[in-house]
Amino acid sequence: MRPPVIEELSSLVGREYVMDKLEDRICYSCDATFRSGVPEVVVRPGSVEEIMGIVRLASRRGIPITPRGASTGLSGGAVPIKGGICLDLTRLNRILEIDVVNRVATVEPGVITDDLASAVSRAGLFYPPDPSSSKVCTIGGNIAECAGGPRGVKYGVTRDYVLGLEVVLPSGDLVQVGNPVDGEMSGPDWTMLLVGSEGTLGIVTRIFLRLVDKPATKKTLLAVFETLEDAATSVSTLIASGTIPTTLEIMDNLTIRAVEDYLKVGLPVAAEAILLIEVDGAPSAVEKHCDHVIAVCKRCNASDIQVAETEDQADKLWRARRAISPACGRINPTKISEDATVPRSQLPAMVRRIKEIATKYDLKMVVFGHAGDGNLHPNILTNKHNLEEMQRVERAIEELFRCTLELGGTLSGEHGIGYMKAPFLEWETGRDGFALARQVKDSVDPKGLLNPGKMFSAISQQIT
Amino acid sequence: MKTTDKYKHDWQEQLAKCIRCGTCRSVCPVFAVTGNENSTARGKVRLIEAVTEGDLELTHEMQQRISQCLMCKACVTGCPSSVKTDWLFLDARKALAEENSVPFMKKLAFTSLTYRWLFEKALGAGTLLQRLVLKDSPDGRGMVSRIPLPAAGLNARRIIPPLATKPLRSNPLVLKPRGPRRARVAFFTGCMLNYVYPDAGKAIVDILVHNGIEVTLPIDQYCCGTPAFTSGDFPVGRYLAERNIEALSKQPLDAIITGCPSCGLALKHEYGHIIDDPRLKEKWTEIATKVHDITQFLVEIGHREDFHEVKLKLTYHDPCHLVRGMGVSQEPRQMLKAIPGIDFVEMAHADECCGAGGTFSLSYYDISRQINDKKLDAAQDTNAQVLVTGCSVCRMHIDDGLSRRQGTIKVRHTAEILAAAYRIPGKEVIS
Ligand SMILES: Cc1cc2nc3c(=O)[nH]c(=O)nc-3n(C[C@H](O)[C@H](O)[C@H](O)COP(=O)(O)OP(=O)(O)OC[C@H]3O[C@@H](n4cnc5c(N)ncnc54)[C@H](O)[C@@H]3O)c2cc1C
Ligand code: SF4
Ligand code: SF4
Repeated sequence: MRPPVIEELSSLVGREYVMDKLEDRICYSCDATFRSGVPEVVVRPGSVEEIMGIVRLASRRGIPITPRGASTGLSGGAVPIKGGICLDLTRLNRILEIDVVNRVATVEPGVITDDLASAVSRAGLFYPPDPSSSKVCTIGGNIAECAGGPRGVKYGVTRDYVLGLEVVLPSGDLVQVGNPVDGEMSGPDWTMLLVGSEGTLGIVTRIFLRLVDKPATKKTLLAVFETLEDAATSVSTLIASGTIPTTLEIMDNLTIRAVEDYLKVGLPVAAEAILLIEVDGAPSAVEKHCDHVIAVCKRCNASDIQVAETEDQADKLWRARRAISPACGRINPTKISEDATVPRSQLPAMVRRIKEIATKYDLKMVVFGHAGDGNLHPNILTNKHNLEEMQRVERAIEELFRCTLELGGTLSGEHGIGYMKAPFLEWETGRDGFALARQVKDSVDPKGLLNPGKMFSAISQQIT
Repeated sequence: MKTTDKYKHDWQEQLAKCIRCGTCRSVCPVFAVTGNENSTARGKVRLIEAVTEGDLELTHEMQQRISQCLMCKACVTGCPSSVKTDWLFLDARKALAEENSVPFMKKLAFTSLTYRWLFEKALGAGTLLQRLVLKDSPDGRGMVSRIPLPAAGLNARRIIPPLATKPLRSNPLVLKPRGPRRARVAFFTGCMLNYVYPDAGKAIVDILVHNGIEVTLPIDQYCCGTPAFTSGDFPVGRYLAERNIEALSKQPLDAIITGCPSCGLALKHEYGHIIDDPRLKEKWTEIATKVHDITQFLVEIGHREDFHEVKLKLTYHDPCHLVRGMGVSQEPRQMLKAIPGIDFVEMAHADECCGAGGTFSLSYYDISRQINDKKLDAAQDTNAQVLVTGCSVCRMHIDDGLSRRQGTIKVRHTAEILAAAYRIPGKEVIS
């Protein structure tokens, strides 16, 4: 980056928050995906005004900006693949207000999800979205990716809790969409448009979130199966029979072993699959649901069902669930995580197809995910240095996407599109849908400077 | 051959294991203060990877970032993908030192660690010398520097305990057990217990003797080498390691006892990573299995329970290299709680780093102090009279912090409390 730009940025945010040494830029070159893109400068603003200033400068000089939270994204959203400015938003990390009466939290984007959830809990309320990365990821990143989590089955995803946002547009202007009162607004629901926009339409600087009542009680169950299909069938049967648990997580044998190896919490390492199920609500309802869950799992050939007796036991199980994704790194170093989501009735079919694909391309694949949402995370475990295998991986991914769409599903349940799935996006939206999205992007960001190379601003791959 | 090419191969396996999940952001004490990705394990792993991929040279700037790390191992135990970040960082420090050399003053200090006799001579003079350089701190906790000597690791603001006029190893070298002999051990004192806190070192010897253990203090033991090899100076680190292995394999021993977690960690694990010579490595493997922290050893053999009442409210801080390095955390607690009269209160985040990190606190005093302040807050919240810990470096750093905020908590080594409970003469109850 040329010295005058560095100087100008420094005068905006202070020299110590502008990093242009190669060593620092490399530290900011990746997220939780395998590709890297070294930014030309890293800027760490401390206020909305500073952000507006940076965006204006970038717009004037035609410099791309890649917004960044904690960089835990699984589709490459925060990787500055076009260089330019890496805009680290984690210094804006204040919880501004938890309004217990009106049940609204007002936060800055850099607040860590878990910190918010704990603060809300201390105030006697509940913020349900719980991505497994919650100890690290930021609310800003959650909004930008529309993050979900195990509780999604019953409580929905981040989108369902956003009342309003304050956003710096690519022009550098500040707008508020939605509001902290009821989220309603005259005109269309602009908030909806920004949630999940992966930093391509604006930079979220303030967030108004809806809070709910804490459930009175909850119970965690662990059901053990001898086949992955039986576990998947239990899920679709459960949902079809009307019991909506708070969470319904599936893990296959490889995942169980990887997690157990890391945490040693006593998971059944011999099991082909397990379901981790939580039900919550009033005590009597919880008992009833619990009985029903046990009955259904048994009918679907569960070989064992354990109910966590203490909070500590339940905690351990959830800790295990959160550790899955990273623990898979123990099996094979490069982890390509997909996040294909199908209608829940198609879950058993999807599980079967995934296994077929793994065999066909001779790849190590693990399956886990928010089964209750139909959101599976088939992860291919490979080694990026093995080029021949990486080619098979690519073909497997394409086939995975195709079969997801065939089963009526979507490419991304919650991890977003980023650079990774961008080439396939048109398969899902269709040509016209894609063109419309492109028009929206072009009119909001005519210079194409906000997070270029992601989502609708990437080149599509031909549908074959 | 380029330095990088020499090591590239060794690093690749660990590098590939890092899946960049960022979990280490939630455990790194340095990152908690700086908020900068360049202090996380992920950031540093990226730097090392960039070097192997030819995108970065082993620069001074990189050296700075790699050394801005406490080597606290929170990222090792916290890494779901089991990346051995500690070994990667040690290796990177080695390569960087080879490329850029170890800072001159540090080098000088390590050289005198090697020539132990020189160090001891210097120390003889040191007690006189330190009067010239250091003055007593107003609250009697130690001394503060009269002039800032950053290169020597002294900071005008920092409180350093006075060096002992009589190092521990000037005590008789074999101590007979009380009663029948249950075991024969060597006590590896390390520098801190030998020169700075010999009372704590003596307490370790005393409680061993009280428990029927014959203790020898091998005369030819050197500094364990941690300050050298963690600064990337592998030649000096290796030299010290080799001397110590020789010193500890001269006589039949049932165990080797440490009261300094960094020494224990070095002897038990890190030597395996720094020694090349296969013959020595074999000798080391034998030694490594014998290394025990003092409380770990006493719990394992079944210690005497003739504790007298000690009326004290205590809290305990887990030294990084004890809890994550040697895997010892329950043993000291178990022993302390067994003493009648002790009111044991856990502090919040007891196993988080105190910010000392060996030479880290010398180079990055401000960050180190901010990390330490959290520890002090947690300790003071317990209203304990004494903070007990098993590491003299933690002790020094915590004491320094307490002194700066006029805290009233006393800091003691676990062994000192145990010695007091055993009513060993000269070990009066504290407070
Ligand atoms: C171990 C692990 C487990 C995970 N589990 C889940 C899970 O259960 N559910 C789930 O949904 N995801 C999960 N993820 C993915 C990831 O954590 C989420 O996508 C999360 O929301 C990303 O947040 P972040 O702060 O890390 O954002 P980043 O990765 O930094 O950024 C993500 C995107 O948001 C943009 N962005 C960030 N902040 C802003 C802002 N303030 N304004 C505008 N754009 C912004 C970036 O440009 C980028 O496109 C997991 C990831 C890991 C590594
Ligand atoms: S926790 Fe481990 S795998 Fe994850 S980014 Fe840090 S070092 Fe890499
Ligand atoms: S060793 Fe400690 S200070 Fe260093 S990167 Fe790991 S967690 Fe951070």
